[in-house]
Amino acid sequence: MKNSKMYLSTETMNLGFVRKVEALSGSSVRRCFQCGKCSAGCPMRTFMEHPPNRIVRLLQLGQWERVLAGRSIWYCASCETCSSRCPNKVDLAAIMDALRKLSWDANGPSKESYVQLANRLFIENIKTYGRQYEMRLAAVFNIKSGQFMKDFLLGPKLLTKGKLKVFHQKNRNIGEIEQIFSRIEEMRKKGEAP
Amino acid sequence: MSRIGVFVCHCGENISRTVDVERVAAEIGKLPGVALATDYKYMCSDPGQGLLKKAIAEHRLDGIVVAACSPRMHEKTFRNAARAAGLNPFLCEMANIREHCSWVHEDREEATTKAIDIVRLMVERVKKDKALQPITVPITKRALVIGGGIAGIQAALDIADCGHQVLLVEREPSIGGHMAQLSETFPTLDCSQCIMTPKMVDVANHPNIKLHTYAEIENVDGYIGNFQVTIRRKARSVDMDKCTGCGVCMAKCPQKKIRSKFDCGLGTRPAIYVPFPQAVPNTPVIDRENCTYFKSGKCGVCAKVCGPGAIDYDQQDELITEPVGAIVVATGFELYTINEKPKGSSIKGYGEFGHGTIPDVIDGMTFERLASASGPTGGKILRPSDGKEPKQVVFVQCVGSRAREKGISYCSKVCCMYTAKHTMLYKHKVHDGQAYVFFMDARTPGKSYDEFWRRAVEEEEAVYIRGMVSRLYQKGDKIVVMGSDVLVGVQVEIEADLVVLATAVQPRQGADSLAQKLGISYDTYNFYSEAHAKLKPVECATAGIYLAGTCQGPKDIPDTVSQASAAAAKVMTLFSRDQLEREPIVARVNERNCVACFSCKKVCPYGAVEEKEIRDRQGNLIRVVAYVNPGVCGGCGTCQATCPSKSVELDGYTDEQVMAMIEAL
Repeated sequence: MKNSKMYLSTETMNLGFVRKVEALSGSSVRRCFQCGKCSAGCPMRTFMEHPPNRIVRLLQLGQWERVLAGRSIWYCASCETCSSRCPNKVDLAAIMDALRKLSWDANGPSKESYVQLANRLFIENIKTYGRQYEMRLAAVFNIKSGQFMKDFLLGPKLLTKGKLKVFHQKNRNIGEIEQIFSRIEEMRKKGEAP
Repeated sequence: MSRIGVFVCHCGENISRTVDVERVAAEIGKLPGVALATDYKYMCSDPGQGLLKKAIAEHRLDGIVVAACSPRMHEKTFRNAARAAGLNPFLCEMANIREHCSWVHEDREEATTKAIDIVRLMVERVKKDKALQPITVPITKRALVIGGGIAGIQAALDIADCGHQVLLVEREPSIGGHMAQLSETFPTLDCSQCIMTPKMVDVANHPNIKLHTYAEIENVDGYIGNFQVTIRRKARSVDMDKCTGCGVCMAKCPQKKIRSKFDCGLGTRPAIYVPFPQAVPNTPVIDRENCTYFKSGKCGVCAKVCGPGAIDYDQQDELITEPVGAIVVATGFELYTINEKPKGSSIKGYGEFGHGTIPDVIDGMTFERLASASGPTGGKILRPSDGKEPKQVVFVQCVGSRAREKGISYCSKVCCMYTAKHTMLYKHKVHDGQAYVFFMDARTPGKSYDEFWRRAVEEEEAVYIRGMVSRLYQKGDKIVVMGSDVLVGVQVEIEADLVVLATAVQPRQGADSLAQKLGISYDTYNFYSEAHAKLKPVECATAGIYLAGTCQGPKDIPDTVSQASAAAAKVMTLFSRDQLEREPIVARVNERNCVACFSCKKVCPYGAVEEKEIRDRQGNLIRVVAYVNPGVCGGCGTCQATCPSKSVELDGYTDEQVMAMIEAL
């Protein structure tokens, strides 16, 4: 897939997908002229098979399968270095967000199960406690992903530094958090939110 | 014994920082023949020049040396000062102890010794300098403009508006050139014809412009201010005075299937034709190669239908000779073709693109004709092979250009912009079509140019693919384009309906032979060479000849028009005087010694050497010798170095002077 030939035509270039990305991210894709500054400053570049600029390039050609096939979009740390330095006002961090959303919805080939799992557990915790409960997040993640001992030695260090709490602390305004979730649900039903 | 004055300049600290100027003056003062040697802080300043003038009078100097900066900087200043003090300006020389000494050395002792040497040489040279008088040449205030494209038209109009007579010579039956063929122009997308045709009409109606269309330059003699130009007026077979331009002959001509060169072969024309409806002059010509009358002696329909009786089958080529004072060369360009090139040509074609055999692979100019409202399709984009509307169009930039292997290594400069324009024109006419562009670089320097290109990409949704196309081939009714996207790093393949190649801009065929007639230089590609790339961009090294437009190198319309106006301004500067004064640093032949080998004639880059006949009083030819026309000589000294019998010498740089300088070392 990565090195296979691209057959370009109006049929093979999914420009509808590109428009969706543009609508979701609020950023132009065509505006990019491939200077490569985003890739130059990206801290996660070394982990990606498609550097950030190539993601945009593939989007310009409507090659959504190639974009979603890779893990690159999941390695993006959303640090927004690219967006803040882009000479052309392309908001690449927002584009990456949009791509992750579309990949998620499409149950796409790039759906990294661990990333999905982590994200789902993260949101569930927020829903339940109104804030993050890291101990539970780590424990459930390790159990569900089958990596029981993952980052085990980090635990004591984080505990002694007070970064990890043994017991959860519930948000006092949990009611408002619930309202946020139900509002998003309503908007989704009306088609106002993705 | 000479009485030479030497003036050593400190140039502020520029010279005195590294050179002990007082010591230079003292040492030089001891030389025989030096009447005075002194130094001053700024010789070029008013008091410095005053010092020089006063010394000339007081010490009765018969030659001076100013040891200071480069003669390019201040020779004129000091020669004028010498002239003001009553000394012949050519007895004043400069010794360059700044650029050649103080600026390039650090050791004070060594630099001072070298400065003394430099000044001593110049003292020896001045001792043998002769008083020279400036050469004056009369000027014929009449200009010749070769080429009737936008460059020639602009130059002709500017010169004519200034009140001078202009001869405009055009090879084709109408003026207008390539610009008349274009559909719309970047970066404003205004219609080319709409801005071009009024200028063509202005030329036709201008009282100071004499237009010779369907004519070529046969021969050029003479020199700046005094050229004699022979023009061949090709037989039009139509009397220009009688013809009213009614067009009945063209309508009735039975030969109608001749491919129109103006429409890049897409449309047809009759054998008696004007290239396009807005032609200036609107007088047809008979294309004798395709005319039935000229081929078989039968037909003659045009003569029968012509009311005013303007058809003249017996017309012959006519040679006319005209005197002119200046020449503007504006012969323009032609496009490279991917076709196979003749054997021995240094330029190659593109076998990988089918050598021009695929009918739907066209060049940029053909696309212009397709997109033009006055074109053969009435402005509809239809492909040549079957007249269908192409839905996938691939544009390929840098075809021929920047292709060292094909024989052209330069950038054609206009293709990036016109390809961007083509994608827009295409999108405006075929809304559901998709344009792809294969490009190596997008070079868009120019006012509003990059914005224009970005508009093609961002708003008109042209897909730009960085990478060159490797191969084109026909597959069914499609053309397979094999390319690569170097940004993604994968191969790309497109099945296109039409492929448009942005082919290289080349000089006109025969540009070299015209250059030889004019005595101007040209580069390996046959583009005419300017005298200086930066500071003399419109002048030729040959005095009195100026360049405008793409004959000098690829350029777009705004640059062409600017250069044409600049060339016109140079002509007007020349014509602003009645006599041309030239520096008398010219070569002179010793006719007694000349053996008439004419080695000098072969090497002279200015074409200044002529053959002169020496006759006795009865008119019998005694011998032939070389003669250097002082109006043409550029004073380079090449002849002097070449002459085997040492019988040609450059004034101010004679062998005697150079030898004296060497001996002084």
